[in-house]
Amino acid sequence: MLYEQELKTFVEGTTNFFEVAAQQPASIGSPYLMEGSPAVHEYTGVINISGKREGVVYFTAPKAMLTVLLMKMQENDFSHETMKDLVGEVANTISGNARRDFGRDFVISVPSVLSGEKPQIPQKPGVRSFIIPINWRSHSAKLIVSLT
Amino acid sequence: MTRAAGTARRRQLVTAAGLGTVLTVVMGAVLVMGFRLATNMRAGIGALQAASTLQTYPEEISRQLSTLRDRLEVRAYSGQALADLQGTVSRFDQKLNQLAGSHAADSPQLGRPLLLWHQYAPVLDPVVSFTGQPYVDSDTAGSSLSREGRAHYAAVKRAQLFASDSAGPLQAQLAALSATLQRSSSDAAARLRTLLLAGVLAALSLAGAAGYFQLTRSKHERAALEAQEQTRDILKTVREGLFLLDSEHHIGTVWSDALTRMFSRQDFAGLSFERLLKDLVPPATLTTATKYIKLLWGDRAHENLMKSINPLGQLEVKIDNGHGGRETRYLQFDFHRVMGQDGVKHVLCAVGDITSSVLLAHELEESQENASAQVDMMLGLLHVDPLQLVSFLDTADSSLKLVNTILKEPARTDAEFRKKLGGLFRELHGIKGEAQALNLKSIAGRVHTLEDMVSECKKKPELSGSDFLPMVLKLDELLAHLRSVREMAARLTALKDTAPGAAAMAAAAGAAAASGADAPGRSQPRVVEDLSPTLLAMAKRLAADNSKRFRLTLGGLADVPPSYAATIKDCIIQMLRNAAVHGIEPPEARRANTKQDIGLVSVHFRKNGDGYELVFEDDGAGIAAETLKAAAVRKQLISEQEAAEMDTRAAMALIFRPGFSTCEDVSMDAGRGVGMDIVARSVYALGGKIGVTTHPGRFTRFKIVLPAGRAASSAVA
Repeated sequence: MLYEQELKTFVEGTTNFFEVAAQQPASIGSPYLMEGSPAVHEYTGVINISGKREGVVYFTAPKAMLTVLLMKMQENDFSHETMKDLVGEVANTISGNARRDFGRDFVISVPSVLSGEKPQIPQKPGVRSFIIPINWRSHSAKLIVSLT
Repeated sequence: MTRAAGTARRRQLVTAAGLGTVLTVVMGAVLVMGFRLATNMRAGIGALQAASTLQTYPEEISRQLSTLRDRLEVRAYSGQALADLQGTVSRFDQKLNQLAGSHAADSPQLGRPLLLWHQYAPVLDPVVSFTGQPYVDSDTAGSSLSREGRAHYAAVKRAQLFASDSAGPLQAQLAALSATLQRSSSDAAARLRTLLLAGVLAALSLAGAAGYFQLTRSKHERAALEAQEQTRDILKTVREGLFLLDSEHHIGTVWSDALTRMFSRQDFAGLSFERLLKDLVPPATLTTATKYIKLLWGDRAHENLMKSINPLGQLEVKIDNGHGGRETRYLQFDFHRVMGQDGVKHVLCAVGDITSSVLLAHELEESQENASAQVDMMLGLLHVDPLQLVSFLDTADSSLKLVNTILKEPARTDAEFRKKLGGLFRELHGIKGEAQALNLKSIAGRVHTLEDMVSECKKKPELSGSDFLPMVLKLDELLAHLRSVREMAARLTALKDTAPGAAAMAAAAGAAAASGADAPGRSQPRVVEDLSPTLLAMAKRLAADNSKRFRLTLGGLADVPPSYAATIKDCIIQMLRNAAVHGIEPPEARRANTKQDIGLVSVHFRKNGDGYELVFEDDGAGIAAETLKAAAVRKQLISEQEAAEMDTRAAMALIFRPGFSTCEDVSMDAGRGVGMDIVARSVYALGGKIGVTTHPGRFTRFKIVLPAGRAASSAVA
């Protein structure tokens, strides 16, 4: 069973990114359990975790949200690659936060980025996923934590 | 072992140093003596040379006197001869005097020539001191001796005469002196040789001693280095963090590598024990630890007793995890006093990282609790009708799915988040009621915890998504628990295959377990279960839990149409809980009101005209309108003015308001104020009506009327 503090670490990693990068904090919606296959947006940053817990944590965001985020960050390049870099950066911040809080108990991979609405995200069978909506301005992304 | 080696090494060092000192002193003495001997020898050799030179002078003086006499006799020029004599006598006298003042003065052989010279010198003195004109020249007689010349000639003759008698002995005496001086020099040379030999031997001994000392020192240094290396290896390898504390409670200069790893720091030298723990433990723990360390320095403190009161036997600390964060670790501190001659010298501290053991113990404890809970659950399941259990699990699954759907609804504002809470309460309360009815304590307990979380959220002034994080985790745990109950129920059903109808039940349970979350919802038709045993068991448990005594009578429940079964069951369960908690009085209160000790609760379901009717009645305390109004004011559901203006009918309607309860404390059975709210909503949802009649101190009666049309259509559908 996942602990609340562990879930909070991933959530804080995500919301911190918005606060630092866009100087505008993100809030979270009410979390819920995933039913069926994961519904993801156009861009998804994935980190694999092993050690004390095993599974994946991923941040998935719609293109519109990332575009506004880039604008807030004074970026002029809204290309596909920049979007991927940005979502990778969010995953990297989540990963850094997790490293800070969990230390050696968790082995956290380098983030990978997937694009498209049906990416192949390796899910561990029998593991329930927690979906935490990340609301920023009028947009909404999802943080999905799927760990044993 | 190390102490013995140290003592031996010190002893050897002292011996070597003593020996070295002695040999150095000997060498010094030899050198001083040799210097003095050499100086004496040099003086002796000078004296010997002088004595050897002086030996020739008596003969020379004698010969020069003869020459002077001859010159005087032939009236030749004698000035040169006299000058030569004067020079020889003067040099002899000077040298002899020098000899007398030299190293040879101690020689008895010098006395005799000196004595003889003291006799000889006055004889020569008139000769050598002559300064006159020895000749007188005349034209007639030529040159002749003057009067002075005659006296001078006579003095020369006397001196020559004395010389002929004394020159030989004087020469012999000087030769004897030379011989003596030569012997003396030879003896001195021999002594110097002996001394030098002794010096060489002493130097060799000193070199030998120095070599031995060096060898010993090298050996000891090697041993010390080896010991240091071994100590380093031990400190590097040992898994405990080892260090010494001095009387000021400061850490020494040596510690094991494990300590560095445990505390993620390296600046231990001179660090106080208090500062080591300051940022890692709460202040109260730090104070206790510091006091304990002080006690360790007391001479009277008994080591075993001290060990038994060690407050740092299992210390929870928050340590930097090397990534900017902090992690919880469990450390065990052991203290051993190092005794010296004057009492406690140091305190050896051994720190062990027992995190794994502690976590393992926690896991074991948790696992034991789980195992125990599972056994309890299995025993509980044995008493539950399999069909009822499957039905309940299906309902619970559907309800929890609905709970998840409520959570999933997008929300950003406090109002949107708050709206979710009411829905969550209703669903959870329904599951808990059914679980309690079936005496499934493990499920009821978990749902109750989840209800508590929802309740806590309600109290918060501003809600956000973070407040729902613990709920979703608990929901996940509850779903996992329901899964395990379902699996266990399937296994139990399989075990009961000898019982009548077991195969069918096992198939039903197995199919339900396999279907998981896709199990049919509560609104779907299902096999009608016999509610009576469940309700009777629940009544028994409620009476025991609330220290009440009452008898439940049931009637007509077999006639409940399938589509109403779930609602009727939920309503009866809720009303039964209310009757047990609020309605039926304790036996002593009943006796005081001239009632029977055992209360009566009756439930009757029957067809009534076109529809159905459920009457639930208890002969308890009834409901006082004023009590309801006071509770509603207390819960801030209505104002005091509204309460004052409210008539009895309106006051009775408060029972069905969400959040209303007359209970101050929340228990498993009442207090949340959602029960009758759910009952009313369920009845209204079916197109039915609910009414309440009561007489304070006498009875409470709920009457639910349901239409027949919906039941028929649902049954057909």
